[in-house]
Amino acid sequence: METSRPVVVKRVPERMNLRQARQFQQEVRPFFRIDRPQIVFDLSAVRLLDAAGIDMLLECMTEASRRDGDLKLASVSAQAAVVLELTRTDRLFEIYETATDAVKSFSSFLPNAVRQFYPGVGTAPAFAWHQRDGHGHRVPKEKETEEAA
Amino acid sequence: MDVKAVILIGGSRIEGAEQLGGIPIGLLDVFGRPILERVLDRLEKFGISGAAVVTETPASSVPLARGSIRPGMHWAEARGSQFWRTAENAFNEFAQGGTEIVLVVRLGAYAELDYEELIQFHLDAGCHVTRVADATGMPLDTFVISASRRNDAAYLFRHELQEMRVPSDDYRFAGYINHLRDPKDFRVLALDGFAGIANIPPCGDETKPGVWLGENARVHRTARLLAPCFVGANAKVRASALLTRGSVAEHHTEIDCGTVVENSSILQTTKIGAGLDVTHSVVGFQRIWNLRRTVEVEISDRRLVATIHSAPVRMLNHAAEIAWIFSKVVAQTVLGRKTAPTPAIQDALCRPAAALKKAEHGKEEAMPAADLLSVRRYGNE
Repeated sequence: METSRPVVVKRVPERMNLRQARQFQQEVRPFFRIDRPQIVFDLSAVRLLDAAGIDMLLECMTEASRRDGDLKLASVSAQAAVVLELTRTDRLFEIYETATDAVKSFSSFLPNAVRQFYPGVGTAPAFAWHQRDGHGHRVPKEKETEEAA
Repeated sequence: MDVKAVILIGGSRIEGAEQLGGIPIGLLDVFGRPILERVLDRLEKFGISGAAVVTETPASSVPLARGSIRPGMHWAEARGSQFWRTAENAFNEFAQGGTEIVLVVRLGAYAELDYEELIQFHLDAGCHVTRVADATGMPLDTFVISASRRNDAAYLFRHELQEMRVPSDDYRFAGYINHLRDPKDFRVLALDGFAGIANIPPCGDETKPGVWLGENARVHRTARLLAPCFVGANAKVRASALLTRGSVAEHHTEIDCGTVVENSSILQTTKIGAGLDVTHSVVGFQRIWNLRRTVEVEISDRRLVATIHSAPVRMLNHAAEIAWIFSKVVAQTVLGRKTAPTPAIQDALCRPAAALKKAEHGKEEAMPAADLLSVRRYGNE
């Protein structure tokens, strides 16, 4: 299922302390004001992230959810990943290796969690994995198509 | 036989190695006592009581090795090129004082050497200088030097323990060695201590199997300590905190409410904020060394990681805080309290949800309109 709504990718600055987090939030605020915003924050440049930066990320996520949108993180630097882990916020966000992956994820139907269990599924719908053969056993999509061929 | 030791802290060939937050690993506590102190104890056990310590560390960090400073010990601070010169002077002082054999140990690696056997090897070999190497032949920066061989000693110090004037057989040591190059080695030392591989018994009472508590350590009744773990002297573990999988909280540390410390070492005088997850890390001096990601992260936010100051500084801080709160209360009483306006419930109920609002004017107008068909991400609706 493709969506035509735009996905905004924003690079987070190197230092995210109180002052810069506020400044950054001001910059990205307009993107969250639309209906169902789809935002990706690229954290590849982040070297310093403190509690104010985490607060900002959570506020942005709340704002996105309030408008039925989503905020995803991509290319999280090791430094940022450590702080996200430390503050237990890593489990609140969908985190992707690259911004491209994060952007693609908005257009895929399959929830991220399912994709992790079945790598390489791509954008196939989740129910594809729940089809059953004549004996009632689960059959993966590929196997079924091979048999049909 | 008069045997003395020159212990060198610093002089690493690699910039920033063998240090955590600028402090040499040799001066940091493991299970309540600095590594230096443990080395000195081991030397004393083998009858080597006189020692000189030469360090590159600034004087401000010397209190870290509080237990290592003993009566009659010569403690010298030197930097850069002066470091090796000072080490040579310390050797010469011992030689002039009638010492027969001088042991030079650079921390550096922590090795549980049998010094008696080492000195016997040196005497039997009849060498001027004997170098210690591990089982693989890697040198340990530990040497035995006959005090009468000043030229050999001078040559060795001037070449930063890299070259010997006269080559000799190495003393191969097959016991416990930890090279203590980085935070990972430091953490391994703690785990080896728990496992009994390294002979570094925790300083404290074993309150239950595998759980050690230092003197005056305070653990809240709802906090959980899962063996093996160590809580150092005067440390505080607050409500619902959890220490597990070989975690170590050194002296004067504070683990705040609900924080989980898993397979980590918390260095002395470090406060970990509330509700955090510290895993596979070494934390201290407002830094986190994450061992899984092999990254060092500076934490400037004192709500996450802070350094606990000494008692007088803490008292001053508390006094300043009380004065600030008092003045604030007085100001509010005199000028009148300002309370945040409470939103009218009726208004809030009537207001449309933010998601239902139309896009605001301006830049957002350029955004395309909503799709005709929208699909929920986690359902088939």
